[in-house]
Amino acid sequence: MKFKTLALSTLLAALFVSVQALAADISLLNVSYDPTRELYQDYNAAFAKYWKAKTGDNVSVKASHGGSGKQGRAVIDGLEADVVTLALAYDIDAIYDKAKLIPKDWQKRLPHNSSPYTSTIVFLVRKGNPKHIKDWDDVVKPGVSIITPNPKTSGGARWNYLAAWAYALKQNNNDEAKAKEFVGKLYKNVPVLDSGARGATTTFVERGIGDVLLAWENEAFLALKESPGKFEIVVPSLSILAEPPVTVVDKVVDKHKTRAVAEAYLNYLYSEEGQEIAAKNYYRPTLESVAKKYEPQFPKVNLVKIDDVFGGWQKTQKTHFADGGVFDQIYAK
Amino acid sequence: MQYKRKLITTLLIGSGIISAPQVALANDSSELEQLRALVQELDQKVRVLDRKNELADEAAAAAKKETPIVSASENGFGFKSADGKNEIRFRALAQIDYRNFTNGSNDTKNIDGFDFRRIRPSVEGTLYGKYDFRFVPEFGDNKTTSNSGIVDAYIDARFKPWFQVRAGKFKPYVGLERLQSGGDIKFIERSFVSNNILPNRDVGASVHGDLFEGKLNYAVGVYNGVVDGGDNVTSQDTNGDKEYAVRLFTTPFKGEDSILEGLGFGLAATHGNFTGTTTNTGLPNYKTPGQETNFFTYNAKLTSGSTTAYDSIVVGNGDRTRWAPQAYYYSGPFGIIAEYAVVTQDVKNTGSLAAVKNKTATLDNDAWQIAASWLITGETASFKGVKPKNNFDPDGAGWGAWELVARYQQNNIDNSAFTNSVFADITKSAKSAKAWATGVNWYLNQNLKLAVNYEQTNFEGGGGGTVANPIDRPNEKTLFTRLQISY
Repeated sequence: MKFKTLALSTLLAALFVSVQALAADISLLNVSYDPTRELYQDYNAAFAKYWKAKTGDNVSVKASHGGSGKQGRAVIDGLEADVVTLALAYDIDAIYDKAKLIPKDWQKRLPHNSSPYTSTIVFLVRKGNPKHIKDWDDVVKPGVSIITPNPKTSGGARWNYLAAWAYALKQNNNDEAKAKEFVGKLYKNVPVLDSGARGATTTFVERGIGDVLLAWENEAFLALKESPGKFEIVVPSLSILAEPPVTVVDKVVDKHKTRAVAEAYLNYLYSEEGQEIAAKNYYRPTLESVAKKYEPQFPKVNLVKIDDVFGGWQKTQKTHFADGGVFDQIYAK
Repeated sequence: MQYKRKLITTLLIGSGIISAPQVALANDSSELEQLRALVQELDQKVRVLDRKNELADEAAAAAKKETPIVSASENGFGFKSADGKNEIRFRALAQIDYRNFTNGSNDTKNIDGFDFRRIRPSVEGTLYGKYDFRFVPEFGDNKTTSNSGIVDAYIDARFKPWFQVRAGKFKPYVGLERLQSGGDIKFIERSFVSNNILPNRDVGASVHGDLFEGKLNYAVGVYNGVVDGGDNVTSQDTNGDKEYAVRLFTTPFKGEDSILEGLGFGLAATHGNFTGTTTNTGLPNYKTPGQETNFFTYNAKLTSGSTTAYDSIVVGNGDRTRWAPQAYYYSGPFGIIAEYAVVTQDVKNTGSLAAVKNKTATLDNDAWQIAASWLITGETASFKGVKPKNNFDPDGAGWGAWELVARYQQNNIDNSAFTNSVFADITKSAKSAKAWATGVNWYLNQNLKLAVNYEQTNFEGGGGGTVANPIDRPNEKTLFTRLQISY
């Protein structure tokens, strides 16, 4: 009996050890936009635990963060990202247009146009709101210093710009010229253009520059959490629905033989745990059950969609953010 | 009293001589607010400037990661990518000699003069951090029809430190002195070992690498095959026979605090099988140290109807095997290098005379050298070039590096080659050459070197006479000077 127990224990131990020895070590690179550091720090740990339990394999996810446009260009230029989780669809479309690393219909592969979470643009002001900023009109007043990043490099900056433009269109019967004038006034009040959203947050929160930060909602909540009592969030009367999309980079995962893990990594963003993590990091979840649970956390905002107001990202990029586009005309003045 | 004070105060205020306290306070408060606003505005401006500088620094640092690096220094000129993985370098070696043959055979009289010994611009570089390439043409005297003007042309893939692959035309990993760069050799001409026995350059491929933290170097290669001291052409091989080379070299005390740290030794070998023809014998000629004439040749002259033994062509007849034990030792300013090489060569006489016809033999020809150097200005000697502690400065601040060198060497032909003059004629080819040399090298800086060598070579045979009583070839006495520029 003793021998049988010993033999069985030994066999089990050997099996355990051999399974451990056979467990693969997989590495993924997630190239993401600027403010998602905290989100993916939490998410990567959760996914690794989930994948280990499911397959026995060890997966470590390295994350790279920066302005969404810059990050997209880095992937086009050869940065071997297994997945990209950028701020807007155009920056991922460019990965198809310029490098053919993904299929043209990449956005259809995952639910909600490949956006597992959404966000919007709000104002972060200093405690007491000394400049009495309530809406977009207050932001463009003379003497108000605005912090927003560079739309040429930052996805968040493009959402900021478009939110302001959408407001101006609504206020002026869709008059494009008046909208341009409005956004022009906005950028006249911008003393510093950071390359990404996180840089802009640093400028406002840590360097103490500016009266208002046009921020990703999650960035604004993060600033409140990390600097309690110093800032307030002001929700404008109109903002834009930001849908940061995600995709596997097909040519890279096929080269690295990481497709299965990479796809699972993105799919898990839509799971209950993934959505909970997003919500806890102040991204608006798309899974109904989690969205309902965290509804009180997020202010009600009148949101417009880029497709409805601007005709989609391709047209928007060409009109506003391409070289010689409206932003260049505004900022050059 | 109080009434009077009040009256006076009222009158004074009314006249404007003094302001009412409330008005004064109100003015102070307003000014204070203005000052506060001004200070805040200035504070913001300063912060904005600071932040812009910070962002500019970040952008510069990011740009630096992608900006190619241009280099121009005593090590050459070149461009390198910001990540260092891709690089191209332009270098050169130029040697201008004056060669004086103070005494010697008729064939070395009246040939004193200047000589562009090596004029070698080179392009070399690295791609993807792993693939090195090197291309070196020759425009100097070293260019011959047998090397097509290309000294080196190869690619070296450094997959791992212990597994690297080189392919193209390059120095086979065989001779120790040969593996030294032409700009780093201690003497104006290499020894008999390098010039007369071991291969110079060949076309082929070699797997090589460093093991045990660089203490053991190995190389295994396959080549088209060259005659002793030969330099292969870059065109297609004229026969299917290949030559194999293997080398092991160890520096067992490398990196240790030991008096033997500078010791290195090893063994190399080559083996090939080549059957020569009357137009391509596959056999070498052995040059004198002066490199202008041959002191030994196999019988090669063919005269129709001749009855003389040497009038027949000797060709390689199969196996050619070389062994080359080798060593060096460097300690402080002293250095010593020693090499021995023996070639075992199958030969055959293709003549028609009955005495020589189809006669075959296996001959062992060898050479060895021992050379010493002493950097009297105290620099550290090494296998590679010398970097002076103080560059030469005409204003007297530095004298460069000065080095004394001395060498003894021999090249011996198998006596069997001369038996009945079947393979060589003792009246025309010496059976040994013994030379001693001394010299001074002056390294003005890392790139400029002046050298002077005196070498005297004694021969046994090869100077006429008869087979029974051969005369020794006259001693060769050379005084060579060199100006070398390298970078």
